[in-house]
Amino acid sequence: MERFIDLALSAVLLAGLYATMAYGLGIIYGVLRVVNLAHGGVIMMGAYMGWVLHRKLGVDPYLSIPIVVAASYLLGVAMYRVLVRHLPRGAAGGPASLLLLFGFWLVLRNGAYLLFTGDDQSITTAWSTSSVVVLGSQLSVSRLAVLAIGSVIPVGLHLFLHRTHLGRAIRAVAQNPDSCTLVGVDVERIYGITFGIGTALAGVAGLLSATLFAFNPGSGSSELLKSFVVVVLGGMGSVPGTGLAALILAVVEVFAILVLPSYLTSAVGFVMLVLVLVIRPGGLFGHRVLG
Amino acid sequence: MNIARPSFLKALLAALALLAVGLPAQAAPPKARVSVGATLPLTGSEARIGGFVKEGYELAFEEVNKAGGLQVGNQKLPVALTLLDDATNQATAVSLADKLINSDKVDFLLGTYSSHLIEAQSTVAEQYKVPYLQGGGGATKIFKRGFKYLFGTISPVELLGTTLMTWIDQQQKAGKLPKPAKIALLWENTAHGKDFRKGVSDFVAQNKGAYIISVDESFALDGKDFSALLGKVKAAKVDLFLADAHLPDYITMHRQYVASGLCHKVVSYGARGSEKGAIDALGVENVKYILSGVWWSSQLAAKPGPSRDFVTAFKARYGGRDPEWFQALAYLSAKTLFAAIQQAGTVDREAVRQKLATMKVKSLLPGGPLEFPAALGQQAQNPFVVQQNTPDGKSPIIFPQDVATGTGVAANPKCPN
Repeated sequence: MERFIDLALSAVLLAGLYATMAYGLGIIYGVLRVVNLAHGGVIMMGAYMGWVLHRKLGVDPYLSIPIVVAASYLLGVAMYRVLVRHLPRGAAGGPASLLLLFGFWLVLRNGAYLLFTGDDQSITTAWSTSSVVVLGSQLSVSRLAVLAIGSVIPVGLHLFLHRTHLGRAIRAVAQNPDSCTLVGVDVERIYGITFGIGTALAGVAGLLSATLFAFNPGSGSSELLKSFVVVVLGGMGSVPGTGLAALILAVVEVFAILVLPSYLTSAVGFVMLVLVLVIRPGGLFGHRVLG
Repeated sequence: MNIARPSFLKALLAALALLAVGLPAQAAPPKARVSVGATLPLTGSEARIGGFVKEGYELAFEEVNKAGGLQVGNQKLPVALTLLDDATNQATAVSLADKLINSDKVDFLLGTYSSHLIEAQSTVAEQYKVPYLQGGGGATKIFKRGFKYLFGTISPVELLGTTLMTWIDQQQKAGKLPKPAKIALLWENTAHGKDFRKGVSDFVAQNKGAYIISVDESFALDGKDFSALLGKVKAAKVDLFLADAHLPDYITMHRQYVASGLCHKVVSYGARGSEKGAIDALGVENVKYILSGVWWSSQLAAKPGPSRDFVTAFKARYGGRDPEWFQALAYLSAKTLFAAIQQAGTVDREAVRQKLATMKVKSLLPGGPLEFPAALGQQAQNPFVVQQNTPDGKSPIIFPQDVATGTGVAANPKCPN
């Protein structure tokens, strides 16, 4: 029983991390129908932003969240205006955007090598190795913080998308951009803002990851893959689905150790991805655009 | 005319024959220098270590040229290093090695850094029969291909596991560790990890009754969550926690290890543990008493000998900074190649290869002389040095005894009884 509780709690903490990593990818796909392959690169940049603020300026990583959000948002808006908006209309989700954003990721990665070298870095705080006892299990404070933030994000997103004028405009554009143009919604502006929000969420995910893991300019690949699995499982563009999919993926991966060698547990998620794409291409929670 | 023509032709042929006989002597002008080529990952993910290896190579070349060059037969020749950036890319490492041999016409090759690059690049050296010395790829599978021109100054990772277990065995025999001791053996799913596992497993098999491997699990590189794996370790109630991990996984895993409240009588992450970066990331308190094994440590300079000479020269050239094993093995590889050329008395590749295969030279490695046993793929078999982190943030060598700069502690005093 004790082992079961340990594994269940581990799964919940891991789900918080996966969800945090995936929201940005999900919202951009949900509204723009663009698979943002630069997502991994932005996560890496978020980690470096947090590291610079902490190492050079002494800013606590959790207090630096607003700064990282603002900087990542601006980066996202710039990415949209300079790169994504110039893609041929109707082809935004196609190979052109995949190649463009993958290329941008490579630029980010090599820029980071230039600025920070290939050394592994990490953010260390007083609570990096602290833990609290929950149901007899010791849980990492840093991971609990990631879980808390990973739980707040969908609530905040839900309120923003349903209670604000801008949020309603984003949902409307996600459902029918052409009709939105007819009723006076500036679709290009909404796309830019959404790309900014998605990038800001990726930046936060990078910052939070940096409080848990060592990272270097090559980081981001595994984060992108996990995010992709979560977003597809959850139903592309569904915010609540993303959270639930993160929990399912984490539970399956963590409990897989009972029957599989440890190095194969991360492959379980990819098997699930293939199965879902074959059996239920719209994801486990249907194709509900932005909830 | 008809009579004269054959005579003229005969004379011409005779002249050509004389010229032809004389040609070989004129076609081989005296060699002006010994040319050595190498690629290194000076950009990309291994750029930092590539820079370290470059420092070792350049120091060795500078030293020999300052001394007037290499004594090759009856002449002294300077040595030139042609160094190219392989950008931590296998394909680039291979194509640049080809370029060094066929375009730049280097006489010999020194190795790049990282097992996967060396594994690919050394095939080019073998194909063109160019002696290739390297100290940056310790995976045994590189040396199990029957290559004749590949030589490794870097001992196999298997020996890391064996050396750690030898120290642990001494502590067990001294009554400081339980018998039998239960082991959790965690290894990254790479050639490095597999070699480490083999070293520990073989030792356990040879010491039946003294050790039980209760957990034997591999994990994928760049892991994000080790909680389930550590849960398995916790449930097994082991005495010794022996893992083999690269730096990022060591940091992630040990953070979770500490946060999970785990504590074992002996804790090791293989070659990791004493790096400043890891101590900064984890905190001195959390890395106390962790064991690590490395191929060479600057603490070996505590006693007079090749290590002290190297450290002194390195500090003089690089602003007083202490070298790590990367620079030491690079320096050793270059120096060993120079020794082989001098002993062979020629730059003929085959003669130098034969000399390398049979020579036994004084080295800065623990265990003394360096040789390349053919039965083990021409890979050096010198022991590792075992270090243990102390509460004051230092990591003295605790084993082998003859080079120890401190005394090891077992069982881990941090763990409650």
